[in-house]
This record gives sequence, C-alpha cells and structure tokens, in this order.
Amino acid sequence: MMVQTAPVPPSVSAALTTTEVRVTSGFQGARIVLYGAVFDPSHQPSDIVVLVRGPEQPIRIAHKVRIAGLWINSRPVVFHGAPGFYKAASTRPLDQIAGFGVLRRLGAGIDHLAINAPAEQRVETRYGVKDVVVNRLGADYLDWRQAVVRLKAKMGLYEEDDHGVIFVDQNLFKADITLPTDAPIGRYQAQILLFQNGQLVSQRVRELDVKKVGLQRSLYLFAHFHPWTYGLVSVSIALAAGWAASAAFRRS
Amino acid sequence: MALDIYLPIAEVSVNGPLLVALGAGVGFISGLFGIGGGFLMTPILVFLGIPPAVAVASLASHVAASSTSSVISYTRARAVDFRMGGVLASGGVVGSIVGVEVFRWIRLIGQADLVVSLSYLIFLGVIGGLMLSESLTTIIRSRRGGSQPQNRDRRPPLLYGLPFKVKFPKSRMYISIIPPIALGVFVGMLSAIMGVGGGFILVPAMIYLLRMPANVVVGTSLFQIIITTTLTSVLQAGRNQTVDIVLATLLLIGGVIGAQLGAKASSRFRAEELRAILALIVLAVGLRMGLGLFLTPTEPFVLMTGSGG
Repeated sequence: MMVQTAPVPPSVSAALTTTEVRVTSGFQGARIVLYGAVFDPSHQPSDIVVLVRGPEQPIRIAHKVRIAGLWINSRPVVFHGAPGFYKAASTRPLDQIAGFGVLRRLGAGIDHLAINAPAEQRVETRYGVKDVVVNRLGADYLDWRQAVVRLKAKMGLYEEDDHGVIFVDQNLFKADITLPTDAPIGRYQAQILLFQNGQLVSQRVRELDVKKVGLQRSLYLFAHFHPWTYGLVSVSIALAAGWAASAAFRRS
Repeated sequence: MALDIYLPIAEVSVNGPLLVALGAGVGFISGLFGIGGGFLMTPILVFLGIPPAVAVASLASHVAASSTSSVISYTRARAVDFRMGGVLASGGVVGSIVGVEVFRWIRLIGQADLVVSLSYLIFLGVIGGLMLSESLTTIIRSRRGGSQPQNRDRRPPLLYGLPFKVKFPKSRMYISIIPPIALGVFVGMLSAIMGVGGGFILVPAMIYLLRMPANVVVGTSLFQIIITTTLTSVLQAGRNQTVDIVLATLLLIGGVIGAQLGAKASSRFRAEELRAILALIVLAVGLRMGLGLFLTPTEPFVLMTGSGG
C-alpha cells in the first residue's frame, strides 16, 4: 500500500558564478552566469524568469521641440523608480508564461517596470470621482516613458531576452547576464522566479555587488571625501607636467 | 583590449592612446596659436561619450598644463606681459565664479545644451568670421605689396579716456585698467559656461580692443589662462567633484608635448597666416556645434546624464 505523503511544493534554487564584479582600470564590462535548478517531484512544465536590477537612479529626460527654427530641449521631466540596469531573461516570451496582472505585480518585463514621474502627477477629484490621478504630460506620457526605455536599451542597460534562460539538463537551467561598461556601481539583485501554469510558485533572490577596486576606488574616494585637496593635487600635477615638458624640451 | 582605460569619475571606458593623441593634437594647436584649445577639446570629449560636466572640469587642468608648458617658452622669449596678464586674470576670477553659478542654474532648467550650442555658434562664428576677413585682407594687401595702413598710434577714448590708468611697460601702453578687467570678467564667464580657457576670444580682443603689440599677446593670454583654469579646476573639484584625474592626466601627457612643438612651430609662420588658419578652425567648430540646433534630431528625446545634467 502506498503511503500518501503531503505533496512537496515545487521550488527553485540558483547561484551566480560571481557575486562581486570588480571595476578596475581595465574594466570592459562583465559576463556573469546564473545557474539554477528546479525541484519538482511532480514534473510539471516549468518556466523560469530571471530579473536583474541595478541600483535605482532618478532619470531626467527632455523632449526636443522646435521653437523659431531651433531645436531646443523642453522642460526636463524626472522619472523615478527606474533601475540603473534591468534585464529580464526567460524561457519563453513573458506574456506566454503568465498573465498581465501577475507580470505587472512582479515588475517582470520592461513594460511592467514601475517607472513614473510623480512630479507630473496630481490627484484630484473629477466629475465627482475622488483620487483621480491626472498626468500633466497627458496623452504623451506613454511616449515619454517609452523614450526612457528606448534610450536605456540603446546604452545596453535595459534588455529583455525571451530565450535568455536555457534548460541545459532536465531540471538544470542557466542564464547569461552581460553588464556593459556603463553599468552603474552598486548593489544588484537577481530575482529567480519559477512559474507553473501561469502562477508564481517559488522564488529566490541573489545579490551581486559591482564595485570599484584598487586605484579606481582610491581615486573615487579621494575625489569625494577630500574634494579640495584632490583638486589641488590634480592641478599641481598638471602644472608640474607643463613645467617638466618645457624643461625637457629646453635641454634637447 | 588592454588599451582601454576606465575613468574613475566619468565612469566610462575610453581608449588611452587615442586620448593621448588628442591631447597632443590640441596641445600643438594651443602652443601654435596661444589659445587653451578648450573650444576644440570639449566638443570632442563630449562626442566620445564623456559626461559634459566631467569633460569641462577635467579639461581645465589639461588646459592649465599645456598653457604652462608653452608660457615658459614664451617667457624665455620675453613675450609675456605679466602685469597685463594679472589684471586680466583678476577679472577672469570674478567672471568664472559668476559663470559657474549661472551655468548651475541653466543646467537646472535643462537648457545647458541650448546655451552651450548657441554660445559656440555665436562667439566662434563671429570671432572666426572677423579674424578670417581681417587676416585675409592683410595677406592680400601684403601680397600686392601695398603699404600697411598705420593705425597703431590711434588712441581710442575707451582705453585712454577712462580713469585708473596704469603703465604696462612690456606692452608699451599707459591705459585704464577698466577695459582689461571687464574683458577678463566676460571671458571668465564664457569659459565657465562653454568649458574653454577663453584664449580664442582673448587673443583677438587684446589685439583689436586693447591694441596690445602682437608679439606679447599670445604669451600674455596663455598666462592669464593658467590662472583662471587653475582656479576653475580646483573649484570644479571642490564643489562638483567632476574632475577626473585619470582623464586629465591622459590628455596632458600628450598636451604638454604638443604645446612645446606648437610653440616652436609658431615662429615658422607669419602672424596673419596663423590667424587665418585659426579663424578657419574656430569657424568650423562653431558651425559644427551650432548645426545641431537646426537639424531635425533623429531621436526626439534626450537623457540628461550625470548628477546635474
């Protein structure tokens, strides 16, 4: 007679090949591999979504408008909630893995990132309806938001890869994460999500530090903690170099 | 590639040898014409992807280095009026402090692009055009073998009518210090806004407005540029933390050598020919920077990078 045990819930586990990216003077970006495994005794069809987010940075963006024949910048709009780096990798296109609501709640996919411009919004009562969010950018709001994503994608900072997660063995998967040279310094988070039948069933979070080391770090700290001394040192180097070159040329 | 170097403050990766070569090229022009060369270097650095705020600030120390390098050569040739340089610089100090504040405000309202492009277009365009027509006239006249009209001995009331007259023995002048100080303030403001030393404005202004003898103009302008750029560099590092010492060093390695070669080469050319060439360079840069204002942009949105834009 078979013993009926409580079903073991499916779970996911993952690890990064590197948890610390060292930015040295020869930094050319980095390639990190994420490996993971799905534990599911019932062998349901599984989908994996990996979301990597860099440190959040407010974004100032302006629209070019033509005034009196000249192209000039409009008033800049500040968007909040935008990660400095974002990559969504998955085993299939996201909209096939889960529904709109689920993806939106998780911020899975560039379209579902919670980027907004709070300074442009106000809450008011319209037609007797309370708390209506009105955006000063009006119908153009979507254009603005798309521009943020488009410009970030062009810099290699935002990416969505429908087939970025590959099952290398029955339950073993892998994803490549490429950080460009422009990737911001700071703490990154990789969220590994396991979906079955359109529902999130298990998740893991792994952290990744991108930091300046060695001379890069010393110079950065020097410039930020002793800015005046740093300025004097850098200008002294400049003046001394000018003098040295002149002296060298005089002799020759 | 190991030749690429990551800049710690700019937070971008650049090609090392390319920057050294750029520094040398601009340094050569700087030594040849007696200008800082910032008006050439700033647009190039921005084009290479370095945030404008960092480019402008780091450039100040590069300009200080190549100016020092060539000023020493000019001093040996006794072609520096230190007293005039000091008067100009005292105005320049006030101007650059005011200019930094003005630029801060312009950046805040997001119009830095417009103001920078417009100032390049207007100032480089006007000065390049004036210099070109003037030097071409001189060249044509000397080719024809006609006599040069002497206007050296005219005494414009602007210089001689105002109070606070001071003797400038080196330049053989006895003029009011108000016009040179005003010129210094104006150039200081422009240099803070455009990220330049201001030599391309100073040199013609010293010749045509202050009527200084041409042989001391270049050395004197470089001397005043050293003072203002040294101050700007320290101010930018102290207030904005935007000076990238690695970027500045790469540029100045080439810069100081280029400046020496340029100063040597300058004696081989005639002054009016040099001015005609400089005028062409100035015009070209001004038009190139201004062009962007008239062309329909391919990407209608711009991200304002860096902490301040």
